[in-house]
Amino acid sequence: MLDQQSSVLPAAAPRPARAAGRSARADRRIQRLLAVWAPVLVLILLCVVIAAINPRFLTVGNFVRIAQSAMIPLCLGLGATFIIIMGSIDLSVEGVVALSAVATSLLVLNGANGNNLGVLGLLIVVAIGALIGLINGVIHVKLGIPSFMATLGMWFVAGGVGNALLGGIAVRVNDQLVRAFALERFLGLPWGVWLALAALAVAYAIQDHTRLGRYMYALGGGEDVAALSGIPIVRVRILTFTLAGVFYALGGILSAAQLGLGNALVGQGRLFTTITAVVVGGTALSGGEGGVLQTLVGVMIVSVLSNGMVLMGIPPSWQTAVQGLMIIVAVALSIDRKRIRIVK
Amino acid sequence: MSSAEQAPARFDVNRLRPWLPVFTLVGLMLVVGVTQPEFLTPNYLIELAGDTATLFVLAAGVSFTIMLGGIDLSIQAMASLASVLIALTIGRIGYGSFVLALLVGALSGWAGGMAHVKLKIPSFIATLAVGGVLTGVALVISHERSITLSEDERAYLWWTTGAFFGVPREVMIAVVLLIFGDIVQRRTRFGRYSEAIGAGEAAAYASGVKVDRQKVIAFILSSAFAAFAGVILAGRLMSGSPTLANEQLLPAIAAVVVGGTAITGGVGSIWRTLVGALIIGVIRAGMTFVGVNIFAQQIVFGAVLILAVAITIDRSKIPIVK
Amino acid sequence: MTAAASVVAEPILAVRNVDKRFPGVHALKDVSIEIGRNEVVGLVGENGAGKSTLMRILAGVYQPDTGEILLAGRPTRLAGASDAMRQGIGMVFQEQSLIPNLSVAENIYLGNEARFTRFGRIDWSALYAAARRQLAKVEVDVDPRMRAADLDVATRQMVELAKALTLEEAERGRLVILLDEPTSVLEQADIDILFARVRALKARASFVFISHRLDEVLALSDRIYVMKDGAVVAEMKAAEADLHRLHGLMVGRGLQAEYYREPLQKPFRPDVVLAAENLGCGGAYRGVDFALHAGEILGIAGVIGSGREELTRTIAGFLPHDAGRLTIGGEDVRLTSPAQAVDRGIGYLPRERRTEGLVLFLPVAANITLASLDGLARSGLIDAGREAELSREWVRRLGIRTPSIGALCLNLSGGNQQKVVLAKWLNAKARVLIFDHPTRGLDVGAKEEVYELVRAITADGIAVILTSDTLDETIGLSHTVLVMRDGVVTHRTDASPGHKPQQVDLIKYMV
Repeated sequence: MLDQQSSVLPAAAPRPARAAGRSARADRRIQRLLAVWAPVLVLILLCVVIAAINPRFLTVGNFVRIAQSAMIPLCLGLGATFIIIMGSIDLSVEGVVALSAVATSLLVLNGANGNNLGVLGLLIVVAIGALIGLINGVIHVKLGIPSFMATLGMWFVAGGVGNALLGGIAVRVNDQLVRAFALERFLGLPWGVWLALAALAVAYAIQDHTRLGRYMYALGGGEDVAALSGIPIVRVRILTFTLAGVFYALGGILSAAQLGLGNALVGQGRLFTTITAVVVGGTALSGGEGGVLQTLVGVMIVSVLSNGMVLMGIPPSWQTAVQGLMIIVAVALSIDRKRIRIVK
Repeated sequence: MSSAEQAPARFDVNRLRPWLPVFTLVGLMLVVGVTQPEFLTPNYLIELAGDTATLFVLAAGVSFTIMLGGIDLSIQAMASLASVLIALTIGRIGYGSFVLALLVGALSGWAGGMAHVKLKIPSFIATLAVGGVLTGVALVISHERSITLSEDERAYLWWTTGAFFGVPREVMIAVVLLIFGDIVQRRTRFGRYSEAIGAGEAAAYASGVKVDRQKVIAFILSSAFAAFAGVILAGRLMSGSPTLANEQLLPAIAAVVVGGTAITGGVGSIWRTLVGALIIGVIRAGMTFVGVNIFAQQIVFGAVLILAVAITIDRSKIPIVK
Repeated sequence: MTAAASVVAEPILAVRNVDKRFPGVHALKDVSIEIGRNEVVGLVGENGAGKSTLMRILAGVYQPDTGEILLAGRPTRLAGASDAMRQGIGMVFQEQSLIPNLSVAENIYLGNEARFTRFGRIDWSALYAAARRQLAKVEVDVDPRMRAADLDVATRQMVELAKALTLEEAERGRLVILLDEPTSVLEQADIDILFARVRALKARASFVFISHRLDEVLALSDRIYVMKDGAVVAEMKAAEADLHRLHGLMVGRGLQAEYYREPLQKPFRPDVVLAAENLGCGGAYRGVDFALHAGEILGIAGVIGSGREELTRTIAGFLPHDAGRLTIGGEDVRLTSPAQAVDRGIGYLPRERRTEGLVLFLPVAANITLASLDGLARSGLIDAGREAELSREWVRRLGIRTPSIGALCLNLSGGNQQKVVLAKWLNAKARVLIFDHPTRGLDVGAKEEVYELVRAITADGIAVILTSDTLDETIGLSHTVLVMRDGVVTHRTDASPGHKPQQVDLIKYMV
């Protein structure tokens, strides 16, 4: 009854990946390519529409303005991208930015105390950011708390520390190097923009050319398999959060530079714009997909939109509403709808 | 048919697990009470319950969306907008302004839910965007100002403030909503479907559950509850403002999670949200009572939050923590 | 059974007196087995017999409570999967274990990228070249840069085999590969390729092979261990084994001649409950005609790409058709969601039982009533008492083994989970049931229970559409068999008792 079936078939010659399967997969690949490029198309479309309404959009001066407004969100977005690729989320952005900005203002030449640590001060700030990220990772992994809650808690903690350090005052930043990030230019763009671009290059190298980067994708796409294959999940998680903290600290330094002040409120609102930029750029909240280049596009979309709304004369109180609608449109266009059955 | 072998009558830690949030709440209250005994007086506790009522209403609403695996980040915007609507229209249509606020809440929830299910946008983004729109609308119609209610106008809000036989009216409202929410969750089809969708959406879909419809209902409920919270706030603060509830979003979500509901859905109940809201309330009030430095309060809040979640999370039901 | 003397000269891998307990279950009782060089060892037993636990101990995923593991005669400790891999033991898992968003090359070398990394930087061209070499070993021609998600199921399984073979380069000829049910997702032609590769690779490695399909184990293995209730009850050369003996050792009772309960197969009724007329869907299938009668079991045979998967998904409501007609109870319909199919009395028992069939974290009662809550909520509120009553009734009628109706489905065995899925549809009064690979992953005893249930429900007039793992099961169960190839129906035959076709007759229409 339960006969052996193998003798009935002709001897199997080595065969290539099945043709029928291949065409089905080709379909999906095309769909995926479209989804990946959709944000770029959205960006271009946006620029075209704005330029049509107000040609001043296309001036060099305006482009510099956009770059200036994008440099901080880009730094923040890089860190957030890594976390989201892993399938986690990081709500502590604002807290780390606030703490970093405050720490920067207190460590370099400033109007409140006698510190003048210059570059060393900046390195310390980066270390602080890394530390917060490290704590995030450790709490998340060792206490087994979802990243949502761990980073939510650390948001309050970091922000609180920032507040406490300031004690209610604002500190003026007098250090020339730090101010140079915002005020001095190189090839027409503020040094801060170049710093952000350098951070982007580093992030890209990590993402595509290091094991850490690939492991982030592995965790996002199949954590149980990754664990069984010997990937050190705990270490990857903690390292990624730490790394994100570094990028947030950079954003905080640039914030202090831009404002000229150390103020614990600098981070306000940044969390949602950061995550929006990441998602609009095409990195999925579910993890495993996307990357820093996509986040660059997303940040550009958000920055161009803000800039554009001013140029198009949209009253400030309408801007939040328009932003909301735009985000829905941008995300709706770039989502590969046919592939995703379950959306959360 | 034989039953699977049961462990011998031993102390089973798993049975205790659902009670952890309550133990945490009691523990926190004792900690504060030991240092400041006035905290534990009935008078103060009742006042605290009243203060926490709006947080509970917001948290209860958003927990409907969290149960099925989504989230609603527009609740604070909706609450603020509701307060503005009240302030602007209560003079002309009296009690009708409450109905208006709730209708706008339901409508906004419907819009966010539709964007989520029809356009397949993750709820995080969809509700974030809707929240932006609501805030924008609130800013425009209020001309970016806070609007104080006049004496006559305040009269309509009698049912949201003050006390009735010693029980603050906010608490009574919260209790009514609690019962309503409990019935919805445990006894209605929507509640059962929500649980199924949160715990296994593919299976729910394959079993013929109209998933999209349930999701939209959840978002409508969430927004309506948020609008209600806005009404209560308008009563307490006797004014409406486009930024009234801005600080309430994260505490509301924290309340849901601290109570033991999984952020990914499928596990949880409105009672857990109640305990979670009380925990948040106790932490916030307790810090002032114990005399924590105002600048340190944020830090303490964050740390206690983390600790509370670490204790209350039900790891047996959440396989991989992301 | 304890192995007093060595069965194999110089075993490459052995466990001695291994014991393993989990909360509430004694999974392995004093188990000893040996794997020799260049041989394939088959491991058979019912679900719960301990095969998977044993495999995982061999793979380093679990640690034994007592006993020892010997690698080439030396006692070893396998501190985890990657440690085992470093020592030359690799496992190809039952459920697909590639990471879909990573490339084939990255998957093959997952966790082992260190040798392609210099100063922290990954040398991609070296990685791809090495991946190509691995793929050549299993004779699969696929671009290593391709994403795993874009591959078809069979290719993915081969890539997993290629992944397991990477160990070869790390170890000096001391390679053991564990195959945990590798064939359950493969079609016959691919199984043949897999077996050919394994036989060719025997020169370089030893294999341990778990499968529920006894015929496959007999075909591939050199020696076989039979496990029952956590212990090894027999060890024999494959040449000396036969199905009846194995079956008897596994379940402790003889194999019933009427495995598929053919004597219970009653003729079906004349009324047509569902019909397809020139039904088509994109490039998946076209021109499909059939009429399904009450009480009939319609089996659809075909390999991957034949269109049978898509056809059943259309009827279940997941994939609307775009050509031809589908009529249910005489009414012309187009199903755009499973909810619509359910409303029309169609129930779907999916092959992905644990994700699509049940909500694992909900109790048995909730799962049983999930498709029929409208009937329980006349007043708007769910009647909990009636729900409990109905659930208990179904548990009794279908013989579902569960501590209570409130127990989570997570804790039920595969066979009982399948019964809960069935109870769900029966409670919803479905008249057409689609059984998609219904006995996949079930042991012999559980399979037989499913067959009995299928006979019982068809006797009541329920119609069944069956797509099965094996041709044998399709022929044994069905009244009528449709064969599909490349999207069209190539053959239709009566399969009533006494007129059952031979597999040979059907295969030529399948490939």
